[in-house]
Amino acid sequence: MIGEIAHFLSLSAAVLFGLILIFNFFFYFGKASPNQLVLSTRLFNQACWLVFFSFGIYIYLAINDDFSIAYIASHSNTQLPVFYKITSIWSAHEGSMFLWIVFLIAWSILFIKSLDQNHPLKKLTLLMLSLIILGFLLFLLLTSNPFERILPFGALEGADINPVLQDPALAIHPPMLYLGYVGFVISFSFITAYLVNGNFSLQWEQDIKSWSLLAWIFLTIGIALGSWWAYYELGWGGYWFWDPVENVALMPWLAATAFMHSLFASSKSNVLKAWTMFLGILIFSLSLFGAFIVRSGIIDSVHSFANDPQRGLYLLTFSGLISLFAIGVFAYRLPALNSSNLVVTGSKESFLSMNNILMITSIFSIFLGVTYPLIIESIYSEKVSIGPPYYNSIFAPLILIAAIFIMISIDALWQRRMSFRTFILSILTPTILSVLTIYIIWKITNVFSVLAFIGILSGLLILFSYSIKIITNFIDKKYINKGSAISHIGLGVLFLAISLNSILSYEKNLNLAPGQSIAINDSLKDFSFKSIKVLEASNHDVISAEVSVIQDNRSLSLNPQKRKYTTRGQITSESAIKASVLKDTYLTIGDQLDNGSWTFSLKINYFIKWIWLSVAIMVFGMLLTIFKNKTS
Amino acid sequence: MLQVRKNRLWKLALILLLSAGGVSLILFSLNSKLDLFYTPSEMLQADIKPGYRIKLGGMVKTGSIIRNGTKLNFLVTDFSKDVAVSFDGIPPDLFKEDSGVVILGYFLNNIFEAEEIFAKHDENYMPPELNIAEVKI
Repeated sequence: MIGEIAHFLSLSAAVLFGLILIFNFFFYFGKASPNQLVLSTRLFNQACWLVFFSFGIYIYLAINDDFSIAYIASHSNTQLPVFYKITSIWSAHEGSMFLWIVFLIAWSILFIKSLDQNHPLKKLTLLMLSLIILGFLLFLLLTSNPFERILPFGALEGADINPVLQDPALAIHPPMLYLGYVGFVISFSFITAYLVNGNFSLQWEQDIKSWSLLAWIFLTIGIALGSWWAYYELGWGGYWFWDPVENVALMPWLAATAFMHSLFASSKSNVLKAWTMFLGILIFSLSLFGAFIVRSGIIDSVHSFANDPQRGLYLLTFSGLISLFAIGVFAYRLPALNSSNLVVTGSKESFLSMNNILMITSIFSIFLGVTYPLIIESIYSEKVSIGPPYYNSIFAPLILIAAIFIMISIDALWQRRMSFRTFILSILTPTILSVLTIYIIWKITNVFSVLAFIGILSGLLILFSYSIKIITNFIDKKYINKGSAISHIGLGVLFLAISLNSILSYEKNLNLAPGQSIAINDSLKDFSFKSIKVLEASNHDVISAEVSVIQDNRSLSLNPQKRKYTTRGQITSESAIKASVLKDTYLTIGDQLDNGSWTFSLKINYFIKWIWLSVAIMVFGMLLTIFKNKTS
Repeated sequence: MLQVRKNRLWKLALILLLSAGGVSLILFSLNSKLDLFYTPSEMLQADIKPGYRIKLGGMVKTGSIIRNGTKLNFLVTDFSKDVAVSFDGIPPDLFKEDSGVVILGYFLNNIFEAEEIFAKHDENYMPPELNIAEVKI
């Protein structure tokens, strides 16, 4: 019964959103009255709250194990802790789509509230948001209904959540990611409303700036959490696989990063207006494309949800129409969208535009990498896949050029050409220092890889140029944009960490009997496998290995585990990870052989924690930028 | 006016030329970095150059897994032909007899040297090609 109430609330919300659209459509041609907007806003708020209540009830049902609801029965279990009963809601397609919509509505209601009642774009934005929300609510209710009942009798026990998903990082990874994806609905709707409205004397950048920066933060954290989870939970020791589903998250991220940069240029010196709007539209279109790729099952990926052509068709049609509408209005208004100023060659904006182009290039390259297997399959009916080598070789040169432009742009000025002297002075010291450091790294590590060294050089150029700038400005007591400096330093650390990780890390496969010990190399003088313990936990049995390692004269004890979950019979590995500043010691236990010995995989991952540290630095810098934007 | 048009034409030509160059570089990179997917039957028929990285998909044949230290040998089958695979390392948790696998590696002297064995999050996963193959049988 309670389930039906939740279902009914969501249905009524869909009807209300539909009513808002129909009502405004019929009154569009008549005399605009202020009451029309008041009424629309009220209806909109009520519809939003209906969905929130509906989701609240759904959480209640999940906590109380209502297994008469098919989705909860197949993804939850009475044995689960309450936390995972709640997170099981977004562990598969229907529930995660529900969460997606709840976030979409949360962003929308907050943004509409933030707009003044007589803001000229409020009504159009509200209509655009209603249209998008209605489209997704119908998608949920018609093709992926989370409220569906098992009739006449519900299940006695739930089928349980996949054990690899019973993890705190993975529990908050989808919410963060979705908050980021749908956060850009604001820039999308607001820019579309601006273009439809057609009054180009209005200033629009400031209204959506903080919202977009906030959405960027969520998207960044969401992607980073997913990669962190993959690293410690899946036991492969990798953090990024260039899987199609990772790629469709990276594309909106790159577009959002380009958008923020050009948004600053656009609001600061009235340039790149049309370009910024295009990017604002592009981000959400890419998010929609991502939803299509992940939820249609068109591309075979480790993350993809169950294959359902009907869902794919609906999503493709709906997101295609929405994006085409926005792009169409943009194209129609383009001739009138002249920026009042032109970009001066050698100014800060010019370097920023160059990096915008590089980011678009990388989005295009990823897009091609994601869709190329589909094209090949439909033309030649051959199955192909595109892996890391393609992306690495595309990205290495792009990030080097980007790093060079970042380095030059630090000393460049807004709207003014930089002098040749400043140009030379600004690049000379960082370049010399970077080349020297690279030489030292090469001498110490004795490994050489072109791609990795390009990455190291890119990271070093950014780090040195920003460090020099910060030090000299501190001495001269001159202003520096802290948020931007910190975020870019984060980016430099990221390039450096990824590249060093790729050349320094190594892996050893071992086969030992309990009680046996061996020496691995100069750094790992002793690896001794003490014993195997069999334990029992609440919903799984555990085989735990006791291993002690002497590494760099430190003694570490590692307990890699294998778990067998009782409800599904699924086996998972829990790697043992011991971190030091420079490297992680990552041990996974394999299988027992006939002679009683066990196999292990030992990975030494250099600088891997620095990857997520660098993301934290970037996010911190972005928070400072939002704070500055709010107070100024 | 004519001069303006001429300038515009030159700019357009330059942009087209540059983007064509960029796209062809990307496509060239794509073609040399593709991993072709084969079933065992296709792999045994195809003329595969040594040193060419490919993917093999199929089922792990019943009773074919032989372990020797960290080395692992097994047969991958599509129910008509088998390919022998050798791998050094720890296979993913979902790797077991009678279940689907996708393997990345090199085909040398009729043995598939596996570089990586892929696990799917979904335990009921089967390579899509095999679903078709089974229907045919």
